[in-house]
Amino acid sequence: MSEIPASATPAESNLPGVLGIVDTAIARIEAVMLAAGVLLMAANTVANVVGRFVLQSSIYFSEELNSILIVLITFAGISYAARHGRHIRMSAIFDQLPTPARRTMMVLIAVVTAIFMFGLCWYAAGYIITQAGRGRLLPALQIPVWWMYVWVPVGFFMTGMQYALTAVKNLTDKDIWLSTIVLEGYEEDSDPL
Amino acid sequence: MALTIFLIMIVLLLAGFPMMIPLIAAAFVGFFTLFGGFGQLETMIQQMLAGIRPASLIAVPMFIFAADIMTRGSSAGRLIDMVMAFVGHVRGGLAVSTAAACTMFGAVSGSTQATVVAVGTPLRPRMLKAGYKDSFVLALIVNSSDIAFLIPPSIGMIIYGVVSGTSIAELFIAGIGPGLLILVIFSIYAVIYATRHNVPTEPKASWGERAQAVQQALWPLGFPAIIVGGIYGGVFSPTEAAAACVLYALLLELVIFRSMGLKEVYATAKSTGLITAVVFILVGAGAAFSWVISFAQIPQQVLASVGISEMGQIGVLFVISIAFFIGCMFVDPIVVILVLVPIFAPVVDSVGLDPVLVGTIITLQVAIGSATPPFGCDIFTAIAVFKRPYIEVVRGTPPFIIMLLGVSVALIFFPQIALFLRDLAFR
Repeated sequence: MSEIPASATPAESNLPGVLGIVDTAIARIEAVMLAAGVLLMAANTVANVVGRFVLQSSIYFSEELNSILIVLITFAGISYAARHGRHIRMSAIFDQLPTPARRTMMVLIAVVTAIFMFGLCWYAAGYIITQAGRGRLLPALQIPVWWMYVWVPVGFFMTGMQYALTAVKNLTDKDIWLSTIVLEGYEEDSDPL
Repeated sequence: MALTIFLIMIVLLLAGFPMMIPLIAAAFVGFFTLFGGFGQLETMIQQMLAGIRPASLIAVPMFIFAADIMTRGSSAGRLIDMVMAFVGHVRGGLAVSTAAACTMFGAVSGSTQATVVAVGTPLRPRMLKAGYKDSFVLALIVNSSDIAFLIPPSIGMIIYGVVSGTSIAELFIAGIGPGLLILVIFSIYAVIYATRHNVPTEPKASWGERAQAVQQALWPLGFPAIIVGGIYGGVFSPTEAAAACVLYALLLELVIFRSMGLKEVYATAKSTGLITAVVFILVGAGAAFSWVISFAQIPQQVLASVGISEMGQIGVLFVISIAFFIGCMFVDPIVVILVLVPIFAPVVDSVGLDPVLVGTIITLQVAIGSATPPFGCDIFTAIAVFKRPYIEVVRGTPPFIIMLLGVSVALIFFPQIALFLRDLAFR
């Protein structure tokens, strides 16, 4: 885990036309969700500690709110990380391959990853429907449990899309792309976590 | 089934897939074969979500956030300057300062790679100018960052604690002893190195300068006080200490030092969110993986096949040390902890080992492994940050690895190195 800053500029999509506008909008929303999620989590956790020490009473829904936020951050973040080529990978062997082999491998990696993400999206949606059918409520907040999981299939789907688009990009472009907006071998490639 | 799962994981890892995929694929194969089809995959999702929800894991994003604020602000730099003012002038002083600064920074941050960046970036140019060889400098920075992983807070310890059900507070306190021991050993080596290679010493800081450096660092010194003091004194749980650090970091950088604006806080939050997501998807996938292999009793089969139950406590600790050390030579420490801890859990239990000692040893091993060729992840951080070729980053590492392995063996035979402070605080 590094605390190396992520690129501060919002991702400009290089998809054509309306798709590009949608993609850029999604990227912005994800960025806001990430930052807001962390800030809210900090505010919630800090308020709980201050409340316990100063006012001698904790926030009764603090833990549930943090659970909701960590799910939000994780599943908004996996797609954002895919877009910026920031998922941790062991690229040492990959990097030694000649260019055509690297391109083939990158397409294979992107396709297989996308398939897994779409599969998980499907089963996550199924899981939410099962949960919704049970109608359980979060004990403190009294909201349906499945609400906190709605980001899960969305996040998997968006991540799957990012990898699918990466595969397409590598098949159509002369360069090798780590993600839809990051060239392979670009600094962020070796950016560790 | 065990063999298939591990083969798939290793092949996907080495092929350069994002690390969540080997874990997800392995869990998937486990669920598929165990339940004869796709029927139980919703359980896999359920386990992934259960894996990321424990309240104690909230300490991870909070500590990352606090350290990120301090590094982008001025607190981290002030702490490093203070260390320099006191030990910079002795023979090998810059090298000793580097190790000490890693320890100091480790008391704020829970990650080795962040430490390589935060300490290495300002100190490497000064060491090169003073006449140290680059191979020594790089190896020193990469290996000293191990200390930061042991000194609380430690991301690795939080995740180990959650996966194994061990007290994170006790783990944090137990990491201090081995961390300081490594600092002492590295410092002695640095002095010997500087004497043998005749590296000139730095001018001595006057007491006035020292007083000023301490004054500058006075506020940031509150961080170790909050974390170690708060947890040691039983005032804070680790998650509460992390929240207190965030509040304190914001107070320092926004109000007292004014080194940051709200815009930077937002950018820092975003970058923290990104790092958190990348780690937590691994934690989730790891939880699903660990659930399915435990359900299929794979750990028991694997451990029985190496005959671990006849080895006794010392033998088991050696096997664990070697497994984690080798794992981290290839893969990210968090992935290694997520995969191997559940495998060793039954044997740790059955031979009656103290899980805090095991956690400390594991944390030390994953830290050492991350700094060890061929693929330790800290090496690649150093390559990326300092823009040096692989071979140069790796060349100076053997003496450090030998010293660290010495500490590992010492920790196995003298567990009090880790447990002394823990017993003092909690028993």
